[in-house]
Amino acid sequence: MAPEEPDSVAARRNGPVDPSRRRLLAGLLTAYTASLIPWALAQPAPHADRGAFTALSAILVGRQALDAAQATRLYDALAAAHPNFPADVQALLTLLNERHIDPQQLQGVLDGEHSPLAPLPRQILGAWTLGVVGSGEGARCVAYETALNAVIVADVLKPPTYAYGAYGSWASKPL
Amino acid sequence: MSGQLSADIVVIGSGIIGSLAARRLAQQGASVLILEAGPRLERARVVAAFRNSPIKGNWMAPYPPSPWAPHPIYVPQDNGYLKQAGPYPYPAEYIRAVGGTTWHWAAQAWRLVPNDVRIKSLYGVGVDWPLSYEELDPWYQEAEEILGVAGADNTGSPRQHPFPMEPVAEPWSMRRFRERLAPAYPVVANTVARNSRGYDGRPACVGNNSCQPICPVNAQYLGINAVEAAEAAGAKVVPNAVVFRIEHDAKGRIAAVHYYAPDKSEHRVTGATFILAANGIESPKLLLLSASDKYPNGLANSSGMVGRHLMDHPSTSLTFYADEELWLGRGPQSPSSINTLRDGAFRSQHAPYRLDFTNISQVLNVTGDLIKEGVYGAEFEKQLRWRAARQVNVKNVLEVLPNPDNRITLSAEKDAMGIPKPEAHYAIDDYTRRAAEVSKADFARIAELMGGTGLRYSAEGQFANNQHITGTMSMGNDPASSVVDAFGRTHDHENLFVCSTGVMPTAATMNSTLTGVALALRTAEHILPAKNAHAATAHSSHEASLA
Ligand SMILES: Cc1cc2nc3c(=O)[nH]c(=O)nc-3n(C[C@H](O)[C@H](O)[C@H](O)COP(=O)(O)OP(=O)(O)OC[C@H]3O[C@@H](n4cnc5c(N)ncnc54)[C@H](O)[C@@H]3O)c2cc1C
Ligand code: SF4
Repeated sequence: MAPEEPDSVAARRNGPVDPSRRRLLAGLLTAYTASLIPWALAQPAPHADRGAFTALSAILVGRQALDAAQATRLYDALAAAHPNFPADVQALLTLLNERHIDPQQLQGVLDGEHSPLAPLPRQILGAWTLGVVGSGEGARCVAYETALNAVIVADVLKPPTYAYGAYGSWASKPL
Repeated sequence: MSGQLSADIVVIGSGIIGSLAARRLAQQGASVLILEAGPRLERARVVAAFRNSPIKGNWMAPYPPSPWAPHPIYVPQDNGYLKQAGPYPYPAEYIRAVGGTTWHWAAQAWRLVPNDVRIKSLYGVGVDWPLSYEELDPWYQEAEEILGVAGADNTGSPRQHPFPMEPVAEPWSMRRFRERLAPAYPVVANTVARNSRGYDGRPACVGNNSCQPICPVNAQYLGINAVEAAEAAGAKVVPNAVVFRIEHDAKGRIAAVHYYAPDKSEHRVTGATFILAANGIESPKLLLLSASDKYPNGLANSSGMVGRHLMDHPSTSLTFYADEELWLGRGPQSPSSINTLRDGAFRSQHAPYRLDFTNISQVLNVTGDLIKEGVYGAEFEKQLRWRAARQVNVKNVLEVLPNPDNRITLSAEKDAMGIPKPEAHYAIDDYTRRAAEVSKADFARIAELMGGTGLRYSAEGQFANNQHITGTMSMGNDPASSVVDAFGRTHDHENLFVCSTGVMPTAATMNSTLTGVALALRTAEHILPAKNAHAATAHSSHEASLA
């Protein structure tokens, strides 16, 4: 598959040429979901599917910022691994928009309702935090040093295989 | 059949043990040929393969088996290479490649404690070794100087000469264990083949915390270092040479070995002396495979003991959260342990053990747990940091007694080359299980002293395996009950020696590689004495010369 130019990158480089591309992430959210990720509202969302993924990702991982290039890579990998991915993402975002589900309750609600969307949050969280998409023999590593579980602890630890520091630097108090 | 190779010494297997025997013999002027089933690996590629692997907890991911020399794989699925006859699974792990399994070891390089070699006399269990700790001491020293072992004198294993290096700098997490568990439990630095300073052209450790998939910087000694040293001494390595038969002559001396190249072409290699060093599972497999009319039960097997007395070190463990931030993952993976339970009168009742603390970064496991628990939103980041800072683990390393029913046999199933796969028959007896039960009190006390919460004991009756394959070609003075003599020579074949952790008659509580190396150096000296052999070897009888 030829790599498609990511919309977010195109949008950043080309500027708002086409007015229909000026849609912002905020447009995909309700007041409730917008309140979960206030920092993300002004991010461009020129493509509804990818915009919904960014919004949902932001809600699930609870970060103050998400790397746009990483989002593109993960979206492409997830969409390739799961055929219904774009529609499922839209559906889950709609669910959150409409039912105001607390992210902390989300998995319980989906499991309780035997929702076909139940595996989705874990797939997205796993992609962002482990850098891994798919499972078993089909699993693929999309990110390692830039996976969020490395980024979140980067002030204290290096991802394994990266040198911590000079000999003995680990003897001191971590923080 | 094509290609005739020949050497004074033919070594089967290029792991750390075979290669160091080869190196020593080549240094004495012998021509040495090492036949290695697997391919050559490149460190940088192994590092890249690990970083690109989707299952970071799977340390075997960067070591895919080659079709002609398979090894066991369990993740994401069992590749069915090591067949399991039960009753308890024995999921041994090893690597068939130039340099062998220590590509991904933890480099714990322990000596036994003196009483380990006399447990029958002292405690009425297991068997005594055909040699004393004092006889082993100079060979341990030689091994430690080759590997570059860092350690201190407080682990219960006496020594005549100092360690080559100071212990590796203690990670903060281990310091806190040491401070908080004293005086109830003395926490000491593990003795490790890991550099606390530049040593023999290799750098000091820089704390990549990936010692077990791969040390990217060559700060811990690996089998590949031994291979390179053997080559520098003049030994020749033939990679991708899968030995499938050892051939004897009418008198029972070994005449040649036969190997398959990956295209299944057959090659015959002759020699004066043969060293079997294909590890504790593949070596007995090869002896059994080499059965002939004269030796219908396999070579070196007049006792029927080849493959029997399989031992390892099972572990149970406790994971918990300490009440302070320790942040495992800074520095090497296995820095410290408690060594006071390695010996004692209790050995007549239950297994001794070592208590080992991991310093493996908890980030990966914690991430997996949080995903499993469905923790989303801001709570994810908060929990990840909290748990990764506090989660710790202590495990026991339990002795297993030699039992002839625990064994490696030939499976009816064959690999892609048509060679029978190994089959494991294994059980964990009450002697070991009782110790696991006893050690729970230690786990609980350790957690208490560390202000532990969220205590998670490993599942009842479940043991993790430590990959220290021992016993399958045990040494002893009695040819009726052992496979090799105290020098590693097979009782049945004058010119066939075994160098392996598999010659250890008991497993003790220590990772077994250093003992395997020490015994192999002693075997090499026995085959061909070094010009400046240390005094301790002066009494031993030597092979007069190479045929
Ligand atoms: C994850 C892990 C961590 C470990 N950590 C430690 C530790 O901290 N301390 C410790 O003491 N031990 C540790 N061990 C155990 C250690 O790796 C072994 O004890 C050690 O590798 C044994 O050395 P060896 O040379 O006998 O066998 P190996 O290293 O297994 O080498 C045997 C060689 O023989 C070759 N071979 C096999 N069959 C054939 C054939 N038919 N023809 C030709 N060649 C053949 C193989 O390809 C291999 O290269 C660990 C093991 C694992 C898996
Ligand atoms: S901590 Fe790093 S440098 Fe040190 S031995 Fe382990 S992998 Fe090598």
